[in-house]
Amino acid sequence: MKDMSEMREVLVAGFGLTQWGYYPDRECYDFGSEAILIALEDSGFTWNDVQAAFCGSVYQGTGSGHQAVKEVGLTGIPVVNVENACSSGSSAFRLACQSVAAELYDTVLVLGMEKMPRGPIPSTAFRPWELASGFNVQMANYANETVVYMEETGATVEDFARVTVKNRKNGVHNPHARFQKEVTMEEVLNSRMVATPLRLFHCCPLADGAAAAIVCSRDKIRSAQRAVTVKACSLTSGVYGEHSIMAGISKSRNHPPALGIVELSAKQAFETSGYGPEDMDVVQAYDTMAPAELWDIEKLGFCKKGEAPRLLKEGAFDIGGRIPVNTDGGLMSRGHPLGATGLGQICELVCQLRGEAGKRQVAGARIALAHAMGAGPNSSVTILKAR
Amino acid sequence: MNSESNRIPIHEGFWTTPASEDEPPQLIGSHCESCGESFFPKKEKGWCTYCRQKTLKDVRLSRRGKIASFSVVMQQPGGGFYKGPVPYAYGAVELPEGIYVTTLFKTDDFDELELHRDVELVIDKLCEDEEGRDIVTFKFMPV
Repeated sequence: MKDMSEMREVLVAGFGLTQWGYYPDRECYDFGSEAILIALEDSGFTWNDVQAAFCGSVYQGTGSGHQAVKEVGLTGIPVVNVENACSSGSSAFRLACQSVAAELYDTVLVLGMEKMPRGPIPSTAFRPWELASGFNVQMANYANETVVYMEETGATVEDFARVTVKNRKNGVHNPHARFQKEVTMEEVLNSRMVATPLRLFHCCPLADGAAAAIVCSRDKIRSAQRAVTVKACSLTSGVYGEHSIMAGISKSRNHPPALGIVELSAKQAFETSGYGPEDMDVVQAYDTMAPAELWDIEKLGFCKKGEAPRLLKEGAFDIGGRIPVNTDGGLMSRGHPLGATGLGQICELVCQLRGEAGKRQVAGARIALAHAMGAGPNSSVTILKAR
Repeated sequence: MNSESNRIPIHEGFWTTPASEDEPPQLIGSHCESCGESFFPKKEKGWCTYCRQKTLKDVRLSRRGKIASFSVVMQQPGGGFYKGPVPYAYGAVELPEGIYVTTLFKTDDFDELELHRDVELVIDKLCEDEEGRDIVTFKFMPV
C-alpha cells in the first residue's frame, strides 16, 4: 500500500459546471457533455489530450458516462461509471487522481451528473423489508441523528435554520446554484414539517446538473497560475458499531468504533496532506440536511463536539469568518444532483483557490477541504492547495 | 381477528409465533458465542461481523427496550416501497443486549415518543397486500 503523498503530484487543470436546476426536457448526458466542454476550455486541453474518464452518477442507468462522452468525441478511451451514492462525484475524482498519481495516465476527465427522479430520494440502499417498512426516508434518517445530536449538545431547530439562512445567503452569489435567493429564519421555521424535528427548508433541494474536472500531472498543465494541487482524497465506508440508520447499520453499545467514518476519512486526508484543520481557508461541508453541516464541522475536527452551533451564530462559518463553510451556498442553494454533488464541491474549492469566486471569494484562500457523505455509508474528504 | 393464514409477515423468521396468546412474541436474533455480540435480524450465515467467526447461535431478544432515536415521517417515502399509513414513526430501540433495532413505532399519539422512553415489542399490521391480506411487522410501542 502506498500513500498518495509518495506518488506523482496531481493537479486540477480545469473544471466545468452547468447551472443546476430543474430541467424536465434535458437528460443527464446533456448536462454531462456541457460540463465536459466547459472543463476542457477552462483547462486549455483538447479532447484528444484526455486519456481516461471516470463518471459519477447514481440513478442514470447503464453506461451513462458513455452517453455523455459520446456527445464530446469517441476516441476509444476507457470510460468507467462510478456509483457511490452521494459520494459518486468525489469517488470518481479520487479514482482519476489515483490513476494520474500512479502514472497510468497523464490527463483524465472526471464527471459527475444527475437528472434526479422527482420527489424525495427513493434510496434503494436498503434490504427489501426495510424498504417496505419505510426506512428509506433519508430526511427521517437524518432526523433520527438530529434528535440525538440535540440531546447531546443542546442544539436547537433554530440553530439548524441558521445553517440554511447562511448557505442560502452565500448562494445568492453563485450563478450555478439552483436557488440564488436568501431565506429568513421565519421562512425556514414556518416551512412544512417533513420528518420531525426537521422542516422542508432544513432539507437541501434536489436538482439536475453536472460538474466536470480535468486532472493531470504537473508537466502537462497549461496554466500554472490557475492550477490547483490535489493534496489528498480519502474515502471510507462503514465501520463496525457506528450507527448509520441511513445505511441500515445499527449501533453497537458493546463494540463502539474508535473512529466513525467521517473522523476516519478526515484523519487519513490530513495525514496524507500534511495539513490539519487549522490550515484550511475554505471548507465545503456536507449540508444535505441543515444539522448535518454542524456535526460535520465537528467531526472533521474544526471544533469540539457541540461547539458548531455557537460558532455559526458568531459568524465563524460566514465568508469573512474564521472558517468559511459552503461558500457557494452548499447543497442548500446548489441543490443536490446526487452524482454531481461531490465533484461540485471540489469545483467550488478550485474556483476559490484560483481567486475567481467573485463576490463570494474568501480573501487569500490557499488550502481548502471538501467533505461528502453518501448512502452505503460513504465519507470522502478532498484537500486541495492553490497552485 | 384474522386467521394466521391471512397475516403475512414482512419477513419470515423475524419473530417467534407462540402457540398460546399468553406467551408474547419475541424477536429472533443472533448471539455470538465467541465475542458475546448480538444481532437483529439474525445472521443467516452464522457469521459474526464483529469478531468474524462462524460462532453465531439463534437467540430470543428482550421484548423491552428504550427509544434511542425517532422521527415522525410526514410525507410518503420515495420509490413506492412503503404502503403503510402516513404519517408514521420509526427510529432505533436500544435493547438490554446492547444492540439497536431499527423499528416502526406503534402509537396513537406521536407525542408519546421521547428519547429513553420504555417501549415493548408488538406484532402489528403494516399494510394490506393486493389480495387484501394483512402484512404484519414488528413494532415497538411506548409502555
